[in-house]
Amino acid sequence: MQLIVNIIVLAAIYALLACGYVLIYRVSRVMNMAHGELSMLGAYLLFATASLFATHPLTAIASSAIMSIALGTLVYVLLMRKMTGEMVLAAILTTIAIGILLRGLIVLVWSAAQQHPLEALHLSNPPIEIVGGARISTCAALLVLMTALVYGGLFTFLRFGRWGVRMRAAGQNALLASQRGINLHAIYALAWALSTFTGSIAGMLIALDSGLDQTMVVIGLKAFAPALVGGLDSLLGALAGAFIVAGAEVLAIHYIDPLLSDVVPFLVIIATLIVRPWGLFGTQEELDRV
Amino acid sequence: MRVLEIQRLEVVYHRSITAVQGISLKVEPAQIVALLGTNGAGKTTTLRAISGFLGLDDARVTDGAVIFKGERIENSAPHENTARGIALVPERDKVFPNLTVAENLIAPIPRAAGAAERRRREMLVYQFFPRLSELRNRIAGLLSGGERQMLALGSALACAPQLLLVDELSLGLAPVVVNDLLRRLAEIRHELGLTILMVEQSAAIAFEVADYCYVMENGKIVLDGMAERLRGHPDVQEFYLGGKSGERRSYRDIRQYRRRRRWYG
Amino acid sequence: MSRVPRASGYFRTSYAQDLALLRTGFELACLAGFLVTLAAFPFVASPFQLDLACQVFLACVGSLSLMLLTGYAGQISLGHAGLIAAGAFTVGILFREMNAQFWVTLPAAALVGAALGIIFGLPSLRLRGLYLAVSTLALHFVVIYAGGEYESRRGFSTGIVIDPPSLGGVSITSGRAWYLILLLAAAATLFVCLNLLRARTGRAWGAIRAHETVAEALGIAIARYKLLAFVISSAITAVAGALFAYYRGFVSVEAFSLFLTVQYLAMVIVGGMGSLLGAILGAAFITVFPYVIEGALLALPGAQNFAGLLFAVNYAAFGLVMIFFLVLEPLGLVGMWRRVQSYFLLWPYARRSATGVRR
Repeated sequence: MQLIVNIIVLAAIYALLACGYVLIYRVSRVMNMAHGELSMLGAYLLFATASLFATHPLTAIASSAIMSIALGTLVYVLLMRKMTGEMVLAAILTTIAIGILLRGLIVLVWSAAQQHPLEALHLSNPPIEIVGGARISTCAALLVLMTALVYGGLFTFLRFGRWGVRMRAAGQNALLASQRGINLHAIYALAWALSTFTGSIAGMLIALDSGLDQTMVVIGLKAFAPALVGGLDSLLGALAGAFIVAGAEVLAIHYIDPLLSDVVPFLVIIATLIVRPWGLFGTQEELDRV
Repeated sequence: MRVLEIQRLEVVYHRSITAVQGISLKVEPAQIVALLGTNGAGKTTTLRAISGFLGLDDARVTDGAVIFKGERIENSAPHENTARGIALVPERDKVFPNLTVAENLIAPIPRAAGAAERRRREMLVYQFFPRLSELRNRIAGLLSGGERQMLALGSALACAPQLLLVDELSLGLAPVVVNDLLRRLAEIRHELGLTILMVEQSAAIAFEVADYCYVMENGKIVLDGMAERLRGHPDVQEFYLGGKSGERRSYRDIRQYRRRRRWYG
Repeated sequence: MSRVPRASGYFRTSYAQDLALLRTGFELACLAGFLVTLAAFPFVASPFQLDLACQVFLACVGSLSLMLLTGYAGQISLGHAGLIAAGAFTVGILFREMNAQFWVTLPAAALVGAALGIIFGLPSLRLRGLYLAVSTLALHFVVIYAGGEYESRRGFSTGIVIDPPSLGGVSITSGRAWYLILLLAAAATLFVCLNLLRARTGRAWGAIRAHETVAEALGIAIARYKLLAFVISSAITAVAGALFAYYRGFVSVEAFSLFLTVQYLAMVIVGGMGSLLGAILGAAFITVFPYVIEGALLALPGAQNFAGLLFAVNYAAFGLVMIFFLVLEPLGLVGMWRRVQSYFLLWPYARRSATGVRR
């Protein structure tokens, strides 16, 4: 039973991080390799605001969320905007560079030591007992709840007002989309803002649950696997993929070897690319088309 | 009021290559104007200058003006121009390949327009292109060339434009299909009063449907006039229509260095 | 193949002239001067500068192979560090298990690289672009994991120590000796690359990179050439890894992180895609860069406080430089150089007309 709880928690983490990848890919075909670092930045911002608003945890969380949305939009406006329509490889490398820059800046500002925003907020994280003797920490439970809320919100938003079709159109043919009246910059900025928002919520909750240091970047990278498995432009796929990868990882750790935890997502990636590169629910892009 | 006027337009790529060197043209309301010329003449660049550059290839308008209904629009973004009423049917990548036909048609319709307006525009497109109605749920990438061109025209119409820019309508299509498309284009102009500026490599096709023509070479306009007059122009016949029909000419007479064009490009 | 604008008066009148590596007397003179400088360098340089030069040559080997794969054949690979690790670990494993000498380990590293190249290259037959990059990334992590497993299973948790190679009983440890060896290695790699590119293989790669479907329609066996690109590039990269292992005398899995791949990609980007000169310039730039940052930082007042943060500053500065080149100068250092060249050759005309351009 505890295994199932662990899978659900890990799946929630992966799902929340993966939808960030999906949102940006859907509109611009760019794999945002800085997603892990941006989520980590959100968590560090929480740590900063926690010191300021030690007695008002909600204010701290809200303000760091707003700051990270602003940062995500800023990253887009200042840097990625210039790459609109350019070669995808160049855009991906730009995101890698942004990630590296952020990592360096974070260590400069906050040092590489592990931080504990939970303590800074004077909150505690007691485990909750659920059915079958399994336990889940409060923050992890919150995380699962937030994931459900976020996905619910995103699904509604994309069905409403034809955003979903316009975002996909922008991803398929940026120039044509612009010529058909779709304001590319607005759509890209929106995708980046949403992606950074969901990523930093994930980052904050993970940090509250288990401390904050540079290893969060690895989780961000591993979270790409669920996005790929489900289909890079499908939110539903990200959710499904999160469960698959989380399940595989938890079971592998439990039954085979604990050290496999970092490799399992990449093995899943390889398997997906061999069997069905466009993922479970992704648009079957004509990978061979001119 | 004149729908479109271009004055001394100059377009430069990569800050070092001048594709269009100071052209001027006018388009009156409900006219079909054709822009003729061979490869590399700068015709597509002109259309894209009107519709708006996205910054690819570092393209920009460096001199001159593009005036749409009295407003200067050069160096605007494409989506702003679409909102003003200009729709471009590009030469390549003219549809969204992984969306269905129906999705291709509703994507251009802004969210602000209500559901009724959306339905009205869709029906308008199906009225001119009934075949698209049958193919409503087909993925656009799987359409044939002619169907794809119809979809491209349809999605441009869905923007409710006042000026339609068509780039190379006939490229890669069978003559039967091209004739059908030209007929529909004339119908659209007749029923909607739409102004059309089309770029064509095939002069014969352009003369069939256009009212007024401009001939471009090396980024400059070298000749212009009403279609009937141009059709009989000896230089146009020589270099764009394959010579006068019914006459046998020896190759020696047709070779270019013997026959000087009366304009200098 | 040459994209260098040349002044009037230069004409090629035979195929041999077209294929030649050195085209004018001026180029020959420049090359001679450069070689003289390279030969004289070890005798005037400090040990630190010698070490720096050695690192640059080592980086050249890796960046040239990556340029072949990504810049010329057009196949995106994010698994470069994994291949370097494979070469280094081959040396380490063979040395520890069998006490093998370099004339065994280097070819073995090349073979291992080639074999891995086939594995890394197989996805390229079905995938393109982002998906191909992700597959190479995943394989990189698998290789690193395997290396880590070997280290922990065999008790080398802090890394494998390797003796320096010995030739005829004499151990090669002096800076000058390594300078010569690595210079020769870099030169050999450059020569191999140049020859590959002016032969059929290079042209096939260019065709595949430009338009794969058309290349196939023209009869170019794209599967074979894609795999060939991966195999050759990976073999060279593994040899670079092997040389790295011998030069440092130490192999450990932490040295081969994703950041190493990014550094090599940066070399290719900063130098300029699609140009061997770019690979070399990029390798030099990225290798020297951290030292420049360190020097600048230490020159600031109160430098002692910053010493601990040096790594983070390096990281941040590296990110900034990459962003600068990607956003503002996508053609890289070579692009800058070509612009300067064009300006002087086209002067007083600033632009050329569209019909004069050969794409």
